[in-house]
Amino acid sequence: MFMNKKEGLILALPAALFATLLFLLPVMILLSEAFRIDGSWSLQGYVDFFAKPLNQVVFLRTLKLGVLVAGTAAVIGYAAAFCIVNLPAKSRGRVFGLVVLPLMISPVARTYAWIVILGRTGIVNDVILGLGLSDTPVRLLFTETAVFLGLLQLFLPLMIISLVSAMENIPRDVIPAARVLGASWLQVFFRVILPLTKEGLVVGGTLVFTGALTAYITPAILGGSKVLMLETLLYQRVNVANDFVSASVIAMILMVMSFSANLVLKRIASARS
Amino acid sequence: MKTSISTAALLCAIAGMAHAEKTLTISVYSFAQDAYKEALYDPFEELCGCTLVVETGNSVERMAKIEANAADPVIDMAVLSTQDALGLAQKGLIAPIDPATLTNFDKLYASAQDPIGGHMAVGYTYYASSIVYRSDLVTIESWGDLLGEAVKGRVALPNITGTQGPLTLMMLDKAAGGTGEDLSGTISAIGAKADDIVTFYSRSSELTQLMSQEEVIAAPIGRFAWGHFKQSDLPFAWAEPKEGQAGGMNVMVMTKDNGNEELALQFMDYWLSTEVQTRVAEALIDSPANKEVTVSDEVAENLTYGADLINALNIMPAQTVIDNREAWVEQWNADVIR
Repeated sequence: MFMNKKEGLILALPAALFATLLFLLPVMILLSEAFRIDGSWSLQGYVDFFAKPLNQVVFLRTLKLGVLVAGTAAVIGYAAAFCIVNLPAKSRGRVFGLVVLPLMISPVARTYAWIVILGRTGIVNDVILGLGLSDTPVRLLFTETAVFLGLLQLFLPLMIISLVSAMENIPRDVIPAARVLGASWLQVFFRVILPLTKEGLVVGGTLVFTGALTAYITPAILGGSKVLMLETLLYQRVNVANDFVSASVIAMILMVMSFSANLVLKRIASARS
Repeated sequence: MKTSISTAALLCAIAGMAHAEKTLTISVYSFAQDAYKEALYDPFEELCGCTLVVETGNSVERMAKIEANAADPVIDMAVLSTQDALGLAQKGLIAPIDPATLTNFDKLYASAQDPIGGHMAVGYTYYASSIVYRSDLVTIESWGDLLGEAVKGRVALPNITGTQGPLTLMMLDKAAGGTGEDLSGTISAIGAKADDIVTFYSRSSELTQLMSQEEVIAAPIGRFAWGHFKQSDLPFAWAEPKEGQAGGMNVMVMTKDNGNEELALQFMDYWLSTEVQTRVAEALIDSPANKEVTVSDEVAENLTYGADLINALNIMPAQTVIDNREAWVEQWNADVIR
């Protein structure tokens, strides 16, 4: 496309400089704090962090909720994406627009809505009481369930968008052909749809998992200090304790978890093929 | 002629430079800044012919900035809680305030004149802390009621990391027959009932929605947050517990060697004046530390106002908070947050 390699490099230079100076460099400086104890290089920050039972609980909870949210989003996302790609073109656009719509609303507003929905006088408790599942309202706010629902609602559109894009590239006749040849729907999914949409799953899975790990507003509002996650713990370490070493350790752990999730998903995808 | 015009121009330029250089940088809490601008900042700028640079943020940010720039202070004057001010004083980051330089010093309540010792700070506002509750659903007569059956599963407590947290623990300990000094037993008691507590909030603003939808029916708050509940159509009440109300004070400090001490003291003195403290009280921003301030009953209802109330407050010594905060947080994380 370019006359020579130099032209391409010149065009890429402003973006590269911007990313290096204003993102990579500050992030590296910040993260290096996690390895500097009293002026010398050390892993003591990590040892101290994981030695505390509360931090272990928060780490495992964050990992668990991240996996649960990404897994549930994948299950719901596949079903939703399959329906969307099989709709007539006109309806498909409208439904896809509805999927994207929540992304245009502030996460704060979306999360606050859950306080009303999950509250003692909210719709969920109305249903529970109406069906006679409980005599008294069930406490849902400030529980892991509330944080899970909030995160799922927040990031599900990203999974659906990724899977719709991937499914649109599946040749039209492949699924009917598999059915005609006697494959059950379960076999169609695992042997045809999943292998052909693995890239979409990797992208969607990474976006949802990383988003769930690094979201602050939703765990802070729906979980509070009773359901601490790494991101809310990080905020506490900086804003309450002024402890930048612990905060840097948490930031590094979050980055490692995000990259690891991407690698694992890619590995799973390539193993299948 | 030419020379005199040049000299006049030079003098004007120097005067302009001098005027531009007269700047005071203050660091304050971020709430009610529009009201503060009207009641305090604008009148002071007019009075001193100077420019106020107002920095806002939480106390941790403020303290970190003061500490990081200790060699060449970028903040001249700051407001903090008594424990944070004492923390800065112990690190040698703030300068003593000579009472003789404050014309309004004698007008302050005695406890506001030298709240952390050594004249390192001066109090400018008090706040009472008690329990707000839904009077149609429950009755609160003691701090101990917060852990009682009547509010089980419908009570919120402040997090230990905030200002209200230690105050609530102190009053719970007193309600249980303690002195309010050793809080380990109270933290364990809260830990045992952690599942019955809806949330441990960091900001009282979090409670407004929760109390409106009956998720929470009782919670300790500072008097400064009472206005949100008082205006509600729901029957919220301010408890008068038999152990009394807890309380605290925010103070002014001046950074060490900032080179702007004269202007900082002038600003602090103006803030403590009856005129400004009355304006700030009437705007329902902060309760006065100046005992000469008089306000209407309606205004007083929203404030921590009057000698009787202020002298009866259960105030936790700043040194106690500093000495024990780390151990409290450690035990809180182990027993309560888990």
